[in-house]
Amino acid sequence: MTAELIIGGLASGSLYALIGIAVVLVLQATDVPNFAQGEMAMFSTFVAYTMLNTYSLSWWIALPAAIAFAALQGIVVQQLIIRPLLGSPTINAVIATLGLNMALHSVAGMIWGNLTNVFTSPVADLPVFRLFGVNVSPDSALTILVSVAMIIVFTLILRHTRAGIALRAASQDQAVAKLMGISVSRSFALAWAMGSVAGLVAGILVAPILFLDVNLMAPLLIKGFAGAVLGGLSSLPGVFVGGLLLGVVENLLGAYVSGTFNEALSFILIIVVLIVAPAGIFGRVKSTKV
Amino acid sequence: MNRSATLSIESISVSFGGVHALQDVSLTLEPGSIVGLIGPNGAGKSTLLNCISGISRPGAGTIRLGETNLTGRRPDQIAGLGLGRVFQHPQLIPELSVLDNLMVANHRTLRYSVLAEMIGLPSVRRAEAEARHAAMQVAARVGLSPSLGMVTGSLPYGHRKLLELARVILMGARHLLLDEPIAGLNDAEIDHLGHVVLDLQREQGLSVLLVEHNMGLVRRLCNHVVVLDAGRVIAEGTADGVLSDPRVLLAYLGEVPADA
Amino acid sequence: MNHTTTTALPARAKSSRDQWFLGGFVVLYALIALFSGGYFVYLLNLIGIFALVAIGLTILTGFSGQTSLGHAGFFAIGAYASAIFAQRWGVPFWLAIPLAGAFATVIGALIALPALRLKDLYLAIATLGFGIVTQKVIFEWRTVTGGGGGMQVPMPSLFGLSVADGSRMAWVIAATLAAGTWAAFRLASSRTGRALSMLRESETAAACIGIRVARYKVVAFALSAFYTAVAGGLYANVVRYVNPESFDVNMSIMFLAMIVIGGMGSVRGALLGAAFYVAVPEAFRGFKDAPGLIFGISLMLVVILLPGGLTSLLRARRKAAS
Repeated sequence: MTAELIIGGLASGSLYALIGIAVVLVLQATDVPNFAQGEMAMFSTFVAYTMLNTYSLSWWIALPAAIAFAALQGIVVQQLIIRPLLGSPTINAVIATLGLNMALHSVAGMIWGNLTNVFTSPVADLPVFRLFGVNVSPDSALTILVSVAMIIVFTLILRHTRAGIALRAASQDQAVAKLMGISVSRSFALAWAMGSVAGLVAGILVAPILFLDVNLMAPLLIKGFAGAVLGGLSSLPGVFVGGLLLGVVENLLGAYVSGTFNEALSFILIIVVLIVAPAGIFGRVKSTKV
Repeated sequence: MNRSATLSIESISVSFGGVHALQDVSLTLEPGSIVGLIGPNGAGKSTLLNCISGISRPGAGTIRLGETNLTGRRPDQIAGLGLGRVFQHPQLIPELSVLDNLMVANHRTLRYSVLAEMIGLPSVRRAEAEARHAAMQVAARVGLSPSLGMVTGSLPYGHRKLLELARVILMGARHLLLDEPIAGLNDAEIDHLGHVVLDLQREQGLSVLLVEHNMGLVRRLCNHVVVLDAGRVIAEGTADGVLSDPRVLLAYLGEVPADA
Repeated sequence: MNHTTTTALPARAKSSRDQWFLGGFVVLYALIALFSGGYFVYLLNLIGIFALVAIGLTILTGFSGQTSLGHAGFFAIGAYASAIFAQRWGVPFWLAIPLAGAFATVIGALIALPALRLKDLYLAIATLGFGIVTQKVIFEWRTVTGGGGGMQVPMPSLFGLSVADGSRMAWVIAATLAAGTWAAFRLASSRTGRALSMLRESETAAACIGIRVARYKVVAFALSAFYTAVAGGLYANVVRYVNPESFDVNMSIMFLAMIVIGGMGSVRGALLGAAFYVAVPEAFRGFKDAPGLIFGISLMLVVILLPGGLTSLLRARRKAAS
């Protein structure tokens, strides 16, 4: 029983982790917490859905196209909304992303209405398999695998490609990076593109389970943030662990303490953790010069 | 507040994640004296000021004002004991006027409660009027009177620095910690600020710890100079003595010039 | 250098302009209350209520720089507490609301304590958590709050005279708003207001001037909670029915949007933001998604192009005093 709860928690936790990764990637690279991450992901997912269902394209076409859309979306958002705010206090960017959140939600409602749609998962036809004596649905397994894969891919990009290294340099010190010939604007655009793609992936994984409508991502975004904060916003693996932990704790609390109050309890838990360790479990507080 | 107390810094050591920002630094600030603190960038000067103001906690050593131990106290408590810190970059509220920014210093002397304040009792208005008067006098003292109503966001840099200085004076600070007060000022402004500091110091018997790179100012103002390099005190004495000390030249220039 | 002459100050220019604005607002308010139909009065009441919320949030976020994404929580506490005091213990509304406010103030002060250690994003997430937890608690505590089914609010009456009618309520709301605005202006131009503004600029510098940072953060949270909860209590008495679903994260975000669009950090901005918040959905009735789009775009535009918000459009260009 507990094993099932844990596996289930890991599955939902890896969803939180995916969103968390999207958020932290952008946060670490460009110092902006993207509160529009959820709606951006929802929008891209709807685009994918439209290609799959309305235009009956195959996954082999729709997926790369959706990824391209998501990347473009990230770049456009960064260039039009975030870039003008470089240099002003972070709260401005937070407010801008909150505004984008609202706007995207409304536009999605205008385009796709408020119906709930069934989104067929790419692995829908695979059977349930057993792991440690527990039934694991292919969706859950896919989610966990994909989250891990994304972390690996992003870490590789950041460590071993020129663009990735340039991005890390730009996020450390913009002035120095510019002197070294790195285009800060392009690097930041890359980060937002990556974040948006991560969001799309999360959306595609979640949609089959929760059904696709415009309100799909909102609760997930909050949990994604919470899990990331728990893991200490500084490293991708940390965020991953934080998200998983949140998922598992939520499930366990749900079964053993209260079925309906578990979400609130999880939040309380996170606040308590933050009081004890203000930078999260794995976090490191950036020290600033006075 | 200790009127004429000595600020003693005894064997202060601070490390940040393995880097020894300060090692065994000692310094004495006698009442009424002006001590210069110089050294190359990264020597630990601002760190030392941070320890004195209570912003950073030293790993070892004590800081005392007269008989009172300052080490480990909160910055606002230390400010209450008469230490006034002027930061390298002016920390002002941009949308408020010069006068309002100055009035922040009256914080401890205005004693009314939040409730009284929100109702707008006559006693509050009287207290505010008195505080305004005191602020205007200090502003006159440093030469900021014409700018009192100006919004600090549009104030020229030199005036911002003067405002910061005026603020600690209004606070009633007896011991000033000035962190590069003339950085970014032109000659006339440097001259003016130097005069203001000297006048105030002589008039009120203030003690001043001056962190500076401008050796001319250091020579002009300081009775005593302490040189910091890589977290340690490497020399101290009179301004002239210290500035011709080969060890100091070595620290600044990386080598001793042939004609030293 | 002889600078002993002190020039007369430009007669507290900022505050006299504010007084004109406030006066104008009050006159407009009174005219609408007296001469328009029931629906306009209802809208007016909403503006008054949200203006109080906006002022409360301005004290916390505008003056002191503490971001709150959970203020719907205080609003809900005010609404529900007033309703419960009135329904359970027969407390008259004019007492129930301040009591609810006091209750929320205590909670606000308690919330401030963990907030002392948290900065920026972490604080935002923690306040977000507070809002969510509050909504959930109200939802779950069925015996007290009626849970998801909501709760009826008894008819408010003042010394036997029913105040349930919108235009009567308008006087109550107007009086409360006037008092709240007055107090906020006083706060802004006194010691606490200056201390809070300094806190926003730099906590370190504030401490070095002798400001007890912790104390002032608690004060900011407490005052903010009080204003918002009183507004919530008034809201409960206007709509006469509360349910937890309305006090969600979206409401908290809209509260923040209000003060940003109106102009963060000023009481005038709070009033303008509240008017905007009520007017837009009204102007676009029937277009379900239009208000969201407008608020969203307005937020982005304000932040990028007009950081001072709507109120900066009204502000005369600042002149250097001579």
